[in-house]
Amino acid sequence: MSHDNRNASLLQALVGLGVVALGLGLALGAISIPSAAGYAGVGPNFLPWLVSLALVGCGAFMLYEVRTGGFRHMEEGPPGEKPYWSGFVWMSAGMMVNAALITTLGFIFSCSLCFVLAARGMRNAEGQASSGLKTWIRDGVTGLLIAAPVYWLFTKFLAINLPGLTQSGWL
Amino acid sequence: MDIWNQLIQGFVTAGTPVNLLWAFVGCALGTAVGVLPGIGPATAVAMLLPITAKVDATASMIFFAGIYYGAMYGGSTTSILLNTPGETASMVTAMEGNKMAKSGRAGAALATSAIGSFVAGTIATILVTLFAPVVAEFAVKLGPPEYFMLMLLAFTTVSAVLGQSTLRGLTALFVGLALGLVGMDQITGQARYTGGVPELLDGIEIVLVAVGLFAVAEAMHAVLFEGRVVESENKMSRVTMTRDDWRRSIPAWLRGTFIGAPFGCIPAGGTEIPTFLSYAAEKKLAKGPNQAEFGTKGAIEGVAGPEAANNATVTAALIPLLTLGIPVSNTTAILLGAFQNYGIQPGPQLFTSSSALVWALIASLYIGNVMLLVLNLPLVGFWVKLLKVPKPQLYAGILIFATVGAYGMRQSAFDLFLLYAIGLLGLVMRRFNFPTAPVVVGMILGPLAEAQLRNAISIGEGSPMVFLQRPMSLTLLVIVLSVLVLPRAVKWWNTRSGAAKSG
Repeated sequence: MSHDNRNASLLQALVGLGVVALGLGLALGAISIPSAAGYAGVGPNFLPWLVSLALVGCGAFMLYEVRTGGFRHMEEGPPGEKPYWSGFVWMSAGMMVNAALITTLGFIFSCSLCFVLAARGMRNAEGQASSGLKTWIRDGVTGLLIAAPVYWLFTKFLAINLPGLTQSGWL
Repeated sequence: MDIWNQLIQGFVTAGTPVNLLWAFVGCALGTAVGVLPGIGPATAVAMLLPITAKVDATASMIFFAGIYYGAMYGGSTTSILLNTPGETASMVTAMEGNKMAKSGRAGAALATSAIGSFVAGTIATILVTLFAPVVAEFAVKLGPPEYFMLMLLAFTTVSAVLGQSTLRGLTALFVGLALGLVGMDQITGQARYTGGVPELLDGIEIVLVAVGLFAVAEAMHAVLFEGRVVESENKMSRVTMTRDDWRRSIPAWLRGTFIGAPFGCIPAGGTEIPTFLSYAAEKKLAKGPNQAEFGTKGAIEGVAGPEAANNATVTAALIPLLTLGIPVSNTTAILLGAFQNYGIQPGPQLFTSSSALVWALIASLYIGNVMLLVLNLPLVGFWVKLLKVPKPQLYAGILIFATVGAYGMRQSAFDLFLLYAIGLLGLVMRRFNFPTAPVVVGMILGPLAEAQLRNAISIGEGSPMVFLQRPMSLTLLVIVLSVLVLPRAVKWWNTRSGAAKSG
């Protein structure tokens, strides 16, 4: 078995285990749901139990598939496809920063920041030679140019509440 | 003649300047999201679900329907011009459309797919007009046992029949059902899996799950795996069709429509099967030099037929959605969510309780089709420019819109963290080939199915035998079982007889 194959089955086994764990977790929660069925014969705890058992079953079957040659009917990715983690970290950072700062920075600036970081991740993934400050500024301006009209459109026309920068609501 | 009066009334409602504007914006936005890789109609509608809080029901349903429709038109543009098909629905179009574009006939391919979509969409809308009220009238007679069986059928087809692996389809369905469990039980009001968090009593927002699974996961996948993928774009040519193109396209459109429409009507969802069937039919029916074009220079029938089938299926899928309240795809499931946001439950009563809304929606389908024809034929050059949006800006921009959808619904920054987590789930699912439609359908339809199940067993005074005692529900049960068993039995039989022959 090659290194790649072993890696793939390890990941698949983790997915299977995850599904089993989800099922067990749901079962744990189902214990505390009362079974008062009334006339219905089945109470509010019926579906939770069904779903948890089904998930444990599915997860177990996946583990069986992993042991006997891996998941069936998989689409094959392009050969030699390696995930590009550094770009992913940039993008994740963008989303996290956005979630953390949206209420303090306001929608427009927080989203622009997210835009800059996510675009940076994607640029790196594409292998673009980063041309320094100019690209950062260009991305920042593009982000603002998307986020500001979106903010204005959604809050003014569609009356969706998005946090502005100031309490007066004009920004 | 009652239908005509109501339809005319619908045209009056849909034809007000404001509603026309909504339809137009919806169609334009739909075409744009169809053209843009990485974002589809389900994502777009999901991101815009927060508008249901303020915009009135008729206007927003017209708007959403425009997006739903427009994306089908736009999707074919991408699949003909780019060498990477966007959504499954346009995969078949891509096969011949790409070949046509490579041999310098991109314009003809775009024209036949736009006009074909128009023809099929209009015929299918006529079918919706004529048959939806009839189905609704019939559906009034169905009780909880039958409804539950219909939903079971929808679950089965969406998870076990479509997609590559039944096991992963079912897993996705149960994950969706689990997400649907969170919140208050519909019948007893019992809180389930809320962990004492009051926000979770209302359940998990559909927007969050849909936007996370589709948009965020897509962006993550792009940054992880698609950075080095080089997309080549085919050259545009003038969007016209020769007399010969018309002669070959018209029958293909009609055949595609009649293959596609029935698939939309049954709760068996998915456009993969009808588009492939239509493709196979066209390939078989083509003769001489036309047949030689399949797979080489690109045959126009191979674009016209599947594209028509696709649109007919998508339009006809509104029949089960509106009359039974059963969604069979990602986008229809989210449309159902939109109805629920207004406190409207699609189902047989919809045609009586919200008849103005339904007929305005149907009328807007006719109007939308005309708008889309105009948007996609003379203006196709404009949409093609969207293909030039560089990936960094595209995906970063998608994340901004994802924020609007996720944050706009409940104004909770916590939801943005949850969005990221669901994005990760979507990424894992995509990486390991889990289908996403069962998650969304399971989450939205699950609570309804549970209520029907419990009501049905109440009717049977606590006995599940009620499902076997009523002819209609028994029939549906048999269909569900055969959908599950037959394909496997046939496969087993084939391999057995194959083995017997070779052995």
